[in-house]
Amino acid sequence: MVTRIMSKSVKYLLLIALLVIMVAPLLWMFVVSLAVPGSSLGISSFLDMEFTLQNYTDLFRTGNIGRFLFNSAFVGLTVTLGNILFCFMVAYTLARYRYIINKLLFITVILILMIPAHIIIIPLYVLMVKTGMYDTYWALILPWLVNPIGIFLVKQYIETIPPSMEEAARIDGAGEMRILFRVIMPLCKPALAVLAIQVFFTNWNAFLFPFILTQSEQIRVLPVALALYQGHQAIDWQHLMAGSTIAVIPVLILFVIMQRHIVSGITSGAIKQ
Amino acid sequence: MKWSKAGALALALPWLLTFGIFWLFPIIYSFIIGFTDQQLLAADTQWVGFDNYRALLSDPDFLKSLKNTFIFVLGTIPLTTVIALGMALLIDKQFPGRGLFRSGFFLPSITSMVVIALIFTNLYQRGGYIALLSEMIGLSPPEHGFLYSGETALFSIMAMDVWMAVGYYMLIFLAGLKSIPRELYESAEINGAGKIRQFFSITLPLLKPVALFILVVNSIKSFQVFVEIFVMTKGKFETSTMVYFIYETGLTTKFEFGYASAAAYVLFVIIGVFALAQFLLFRRKQVAW
Repeated sequence: MVTRIMSKSVKYLLLIALLVIMVAPLLWMFVVSLAVPGSSLGISSFLDMEFTLQNYTDLFRTGNIGRFLFNSAFVGLTVTLGNILFCFMVAYTLARYRYIINKLLFITVILILMIPAHIIIIPLYVLMVKTGMYDTYWALILPWLVNPIGIFLVKQYIETIPPSMEEAARIDGAGEMRILFRVIMPLCKPALAVLAIQVFFTNWNAFLFPFILTQSEQIRVLPVALALYQGHQAIDWQHLMAGSTIAVIPVLILFVIMQRHIVSGITSGAIKQ
Repeated sequence: MKWSKAGALALALPWLLTFGIFWLFPIIYSFIIGFTDQQLLAADTQWVGFDNYRALLSDPDFLKSLKNTFIFVLGTIPLTTVIALGMALLIDKQFPGRGLFRSGFFLPSITSMVVIALIFTNLYQRGGYIALLSEMIGLSPPEHGFLYSGETALFSIMAMDVWMAVGYYMLIFLAGLKSIPRELYESAEINGAGKIRQFFSITLPLLKPVALFILVVNSIKSFQVFVEIFVMTKGKFETSTMVYFIYETGLTTKFEFGYASAAAYVLFVIIGVFALAQFLLFRRKQVAW
């Protein structure tokens, strides 16, 4: 009995220590974002620190953060909507039709699923420059409107829906378009929710491609703005951490609301095999 | 009236276009220019055969980035995998507060890498929290901060990456643990197998497919490490990695598209071989079980 309690409390201590390690850096970001601009950030000053929201108001008043936020939200939402629609369409035809071309297309989906994205850094940059899409919203949106992981995920899901659903609708005289968007799509809601949250998170946090494919502040997204803000001589931690907090908050809110979908999205990939 | 061939193809059109324009074309294009000396500002482009590949093998910057990338991959992946498994085992069973711990451990994984890298740039700086902590346990931190020393910079970034990734892989391990039938443990118990024995004879072997998945996914991702390098050190202090090298040669100063593309293909082959090796290694061991 005593050893049971002992091992239980050791386990909890270990868990709490781990939790502190995992969460403390994010809390630190938040604390610094509330510190008085220009104040020192040592341990001694931390205990009797004054808190202020000035860093946040500064960012909106004199900085460009409103623009960056808009860009991130606009690009993120457009790409997410595109993926919901297009991944669904592609997944449906791959799941239900066995024409040769469909089989070939499915192979390309699997292929790209496994190909490391670094291989297209240079050619995509060249392509965007040559087509005039460099440094426009097109470069941030067009290549990412449909993605192989999403197609795969939704295809798996559609295959669990009995084809008799469609047969019944056909007998009732519904057209194929209607069946696709009014019968099957609503049934795919759970899979599409998982897809949406994954795509939005990936896009919201993305740095590499937005960084290499854009240049001007007008269409800069938040992570790129944060990474480049640091480039000045002395780092202005208070404002930088306020900007970081702003970048994290939407993700945090979505995480709390949609935790179930996020977890099932991550694990579905591993379970399938 | 099912969709005709043309209709079925039309539904797939978004992927067909994306695949063709943004994947297939770039992949082929970069393969071809890997054999040329193409640069952004050079007037004409010459076919140079394998010269780029030969030059890479004697380019000290490239070799250094190759070495750093391998240090990064081989250092972080075992640690991440073992810690993630440990965390998953800790919170596998239902207990009060389990959801809180699971979410907390997972939190860094959904945060932007740029934000994480910025936070740790602060924590690793001279007089920062991690310097203070290491002084408390009797270590002397590097004079100018952890990211300003060739001896500590790469390892500091690696530690951050492990910290960030463990929660994500923990979730996958948790799903794997859940899929192991409880009856196996019950019958092992009846046969007198202890907890440790059960772990090595039931849990570990049955987690193998999940572990393989984690190793392959994590190595494909880790070989491409870039964002944290860009944000934290700009490749200085012995931290340049292969994707950083590709970025630096291909998209800064001289814009050497051909040379950088060749480097990208070298990394591509390395990732492919590495993933295949893990796959074969695990398959063989599974036969032995």
